[in-house]
Amino acid sequence: MSVRDLALEGLEQSLNRVIGLDPLAGGRLARLHGRVVRIELGGGAVQLNFVPGHDGRLQILGGIEGEPDCTLAGSPMDLMRASDKSKGAAQLFAGNVRIDGDTRIAQSFSETLAGLDIDWEEQLSRLTGDIAAHEIGRGARAVLHEGTRIGRSMRDNLSEYLTEEARLLPHRFEIEDFLSDVDGLRDDSERLAARISLLERRLRGDAS
Amino acid sequence: MAEKEHSTHFGYRTVDAAEKDGLVRGVFDSVASKYDVMNDLMSLGIHRLWKRFAIELAGVRRGQRVLDLASGTGDLADRFADLVGPEGLVLMTDINAAMLGVGRDRMLNRGHAGNLVYAQVNAETLPVPDDSFDLITIAFGLRNVTDKAEALSGMYQALKPGGRALILEFSKPLNKPLEKLYDLYSFKLLPKIGQIVAKDADSYRYLAESIRMHPNQSTLKGMMEDAGFERCDVHNLTGGIVAVHRGFKL
Repeated sequence: MSVRDLALEGLEQSLNRVIGLDPLAGGRLARLHGRVVRIELGGGAVQLNFVPGHDGRLQILGGIEGEPDCTLAGSPMDLMRASDKSKGAAQLFAGNVRIDGDTRIAQSFSETLAGLDIDWEEQLSRLTGDIAAHEIGRGARAVLHEGTRIGRSMRDNLSEYLTEEARLLPHRFEIEDFLSDVDGLRDDSERLAARISLLERRLRGDAS
Repeated sequence: MAEKEHSTHFGYRTVDAAEKDGLVRGVFDSVASKYDVMNDLMSLGIHRLWKRFAIELAGVRRGQRVLDLASGTGDLADRFADLVGPEGLVLMTDINAAMLGVGRDRMLNRGHAGNLVYAQVNAETLPVPDDSFDLITIAFGLRNVTDKAEALSGMYQALKPGGRALILEFSKPLNKPLEKLYDLYSFKLLPKIGQIVAKDADSYRYLAESIRMHPNQSTLKGMMEDAGFERCDVHNLTGGIVAVHRGFKL
């Protein structure tokens, strides 16, 4: 249960209100009682399954089991244009809208919906929210990815500049040499200290 | 011992098992006419989303046969009758004649005919053949059934192999703060709403109490498995206030 369910409930209620006012459309949809028409928006980002009831009222399900009777796929704008009889075929042949399954059901369904007096933009904005969210999500991920990449390359460039060009920082090999020199010096000084204390003991032994 | 076997819960009261049906009948006789209004009020309309969720889990397809138990005013049956199409069948039932009457009138007013039939049915003794339904649902009804194990095993029998049962019911909230808030709401506010809208505080006090006495998620899942259901799963809704249990007959 989610925001999606809430959006579907809202869309379903407002669509059915309009269908309830248009007996002709209701009657046409009622002939599809129990058939499943799937509409895919934004490359499958949003999937809606419309099931007309005995009186043409629609149920909109986010998911169904098995296959729908037909599928209409495309962008919201293309689908809206496709259901316009005068330009519909052009959209279809331009490849902007894809129809799978029983094309007669798809045609009857989309023609009926297109004939309804519905502010589609307003209705679709509920759902395009999903698409927008999807796009924004994808965008954000891309930005994040690019950011990481840029960050990594900036770090590499900066360290290269500081070590090689500006010679402000020593190179890794120089540091390693330096550290090994320090180790050598420490060992030498310890050896020297040991030798001095040995000599001191000898001197005292000679004296006694 | 004998006394224990024949006693059951009616809300927080322990009553004779034979008495419970009558008491539950009293509750629903009293609330039948205001049932839909109260559902919207009590759940703030969220019950529509709970039912919508259950409908998707049901996976009903054209031509299937559905048995809806404790249909009440038929919210689920209404949708199923549209999903199964003219070739399918939905049997809408309730143990309570007053509720079933309200539900049937509502379905007739909505224009359902042909694929929706009605029967007054006690969920413990299903008057249907074995292996006869693709889906059996009981939404907010199992709580009021006296012998739940008997009802579950009857549901299992009546399902076709491959069929599934869905139980939509109040359950146990998953976290403490929500539980506290929910208790406050259901014991303080709910009876008051019931008093004002349905003129019946007692029935809604019973509702709150019966929800607390209902088995929690894991117990009910175990009971379904005992009844023979397989691949049982639980879906918590609204923080576990409601849960959908689903089980298959394989």
